[in-house]
Amino acid sequence: MSDTTPTLASGQAQRPRAQLVATGFACAATSMMMAGALGLYMARRHASGPHPGHDWLDGLAVPNPQFDYALLTLVASMVTAHWALWASRRRDTAHAWTAIATTLVLGLGFINMVMYSLNRMGLEIGAGEYQNLAFATTGLALAVVVVGLLYLGLMGLRSLGGSVGQQGSTAFGAAVFFWDFAALVWAVTWYTVYVVK
Amino acid sequence: MSENTTASTSPGVPVEDPTPFGWLTTADHKRTGRLFIVSSLLFLVLGAVFDFLVRLDLTSATDFVSLGVDSFAQGFAFSREALTLLFLIPVFLGLSMYIVPLQIGASNLAFPRAATASFWTWQISAIVLIGAYLGNGGPYGGWANGVDLHLLALSGLVVALLLGAISVATTIMTMRSPGLYMDETPPFTWSSLVSASMLIVSLPVLLGQIAILYIDHRYGRVFLLGNYGIWERIDWIHRTPQLFIYIVPVLGVAAEVVLAAARRRVFEPLAMYFTIGLVGLFGFGAWTNFAITGEGADIIDGVEGVVLVALYGGALLGTVGLLGLLGLAVIQNRKLPKLSTSLISAFGAGTLVLLGAFVGLLGAAGDWLEIAGRGNDGNPQLRMTTWVTGQQSVLIYGAGLLGLLAALHWWAPKIWGRQLNELLGLLNFLVIGAGALLAFIGPTVSGLVTEQPDFVYADPSATAIYADWVDDSGAEGLSAIGAAGVAILLAGVALLLLNLFVSVGLKKGVQATDDPWGAQSPEWMLSSPPPMGEPDELPTLTSGTPLLDSAEAEEVPV
Repeated sequence: MSDTTPTLASGQAQRPRAQLVATGFACAATSMMMAGALGLYMARRHASGPHPGHDWLDGLAVPNPQFDYALLTLVASMVTAHWALWASRRRDTAHAWTAIATTLVLGLGFINMVMYSLNRMGLEIGAGEYQNLAFATTGLALAVVVVGLLYLGLMGLRSLGGSVGQQGSTAFGAAVFFWDFAALVWAVTWYTVYVVK
Repeated sequence: MSENTTASTSPGVPVEDPTPFGWLTTADHKRTGRLFIVSSLLFLVLGAVFDFLVRLDLTSATDFVSLGVDSFAQGFAFSREALTLLFLIPVFLGLSMYIVPLQIGASNLAFPRAATASFWTWQISAIVLIGAYLGNGGPYGGWANGVDLHLLALSGLVVALLLGAISVATTIMTMRSPGLYMDETPPFTWSSLVSASMLIVSLPVLLGQIAILYIDHRYGRVFLLGNYGIWERIDWIHRTPQLFIYIVPVLGVAAEVVLAAARRRVFEPLAMYFTIGLVGLFGFGAWTNFAITGEGADIIDGVEGVVLVALYGGALLGTVGLLGLLGLAVIQNRKLPKLSTSLISAFGAGTLVLLGAFVGLLGAAGDWLEIAGRGNDGNPQLRMTTWVTGQQSVLIYGAGLLGLLAALHWWAPKIWGRQLNELLGLLNFLVIGAGALLAFIGPTVSGLVTEQPDFVYADPSATAIYADWVDDSGAEGLSAIGAAGVAILLAGVALLLLNLFVSVGLKKGVQATDDPWGAQSPEWMLSSPPPMGEPDELPTLTSGTPLLDSAEAEEVPV
């Protein structure tokens, strides 16, 4: 090493925002993934017949109330996730644990409700063009939600398990940010596939 | 491989396992980078061999001489995938993983284990991809499960490359030495950030499409109608303007080498960052490419032509701007820089990026303005002909491979502790340059003169018809020029591997000093190669050219 060069102490600390920045990049990537899938969905919809969004449903009825409740559940989980983040920043472990657990339960409830809605709708894979496209796009959006749930749970455990501090809160904040994003992904997918159809 | 095995003893810093098993679980960006570089070079050979076989088939099209009618389409698809997803993207990603932390004064990548995971995911996916093709899968394959396997492998490759790109981009954004601002980073680091960011926002589009293609192909084949619809929907990642994103790091390499040789800073650093960024930005054209969806073509019909002209024009403008800035730096020095393999390869690579952008602009303008009836009366648009193959050749083989040659000669001391043989390197430049130009000229002229289709997006019977057409059109001779170019190029790759084997593997290369080139950027302040594991000491950087700063400070009379 050059003599003229001043040096830092060893083990240069990773800047705390690295995880937040990486999560931002992951969100950008996920946005483009959904844009690719929904873009193809919309292109096929455009080509589906004289009445796009109607012809290719072939008698399928979308259970709107169930999907609405699912979305509301997801919105509620966003609120509890931010509650958990707020509590973790205040080092209020009891509140943080309660809020994280509630968020995870609501997240699981959301997935259960979507699965129920799809069953009620009778969406059968391979039965038609809409079915296949809806299955693929919904599957991708659900995968994003599941990843968000795992990320939230893992970061919640990591930040609260041993150290509730600024560093831990930043990592948990990144997970909450991704959870908000996952909710947005679901909202856009739901609107495109089950409202606009 | 030459390697200093001094592991860090700092608390909290992972100690590297020096045994071969350590390569599996490494958390050292230098090992991960080397793994990517060496593996990509081997996959390059595979991709180029298949490209050669495809072109060879077209030299005697009546009776396909190598792959045959049944396998031609699969060979075509595989060669494209191998050259981009298995070579061009990962090799520069690996180089970024190795060099970037050294250039910004970071101890490691932001997520070193994620980077290692990205390598092994990429490697396993690559093997599965090859297995799918061997089992008669892949686009146009006859084994349905193999077609699905190919799609899964493709998504594995994309996820792996995204993981690596996120790791590199996050490192640059968050782990720069305190005081090293973004507008002071070395050009290769900046180009790595541009390329990684653009990969992050372009490759996932493919992932979303693959999900739909997989579901439809596996269940019902409702709109794909067999597996023939797959290739036309995924082909955009192997074409321009998307290819510009992959070769952005080449511009960074060129800037590093030329500025060091000129012993000058660039005239206006922000302009350099802007021009490199421009090439990456205008390479982001996935959504405009006609091949994203056949169905979507009519939605963007009418604006597509002008958008493509703008994209190629932007890429051309960026390249011209960068080369102009580098030329100014050389002129400012008032004496010719010492010629070396890295310098002439960097110059060649930059020029070929320019050529690729120019050819792209010509083709897009010709199609848009319907010059010579393009797109009318049965005349195919140039972007439907082998004009596109020519662009791919000049960018992947020309700019990509010459850029890699420059980078390996330049950074071999830092990567392996040895300098590569210069004489072999100069010969290598000539061989690769000649091969790339022939591989470019054959299909480009063929696309222009004979209107040879780039490929027929249909079933094997269409491939046979295509073969008859090639016979009648006189495209055979031009295909032979392209095939000869790829054959020469393969010889060039063999020379490069030989040079690496002799200079590094057999340790015949000159043992490198810390800074054998009199370079500028921070990595040359470290030992060659830097110790394995995380360093005990890191330079405090306030500039991307600390060595030049020191040299200038010594020259100033007191």
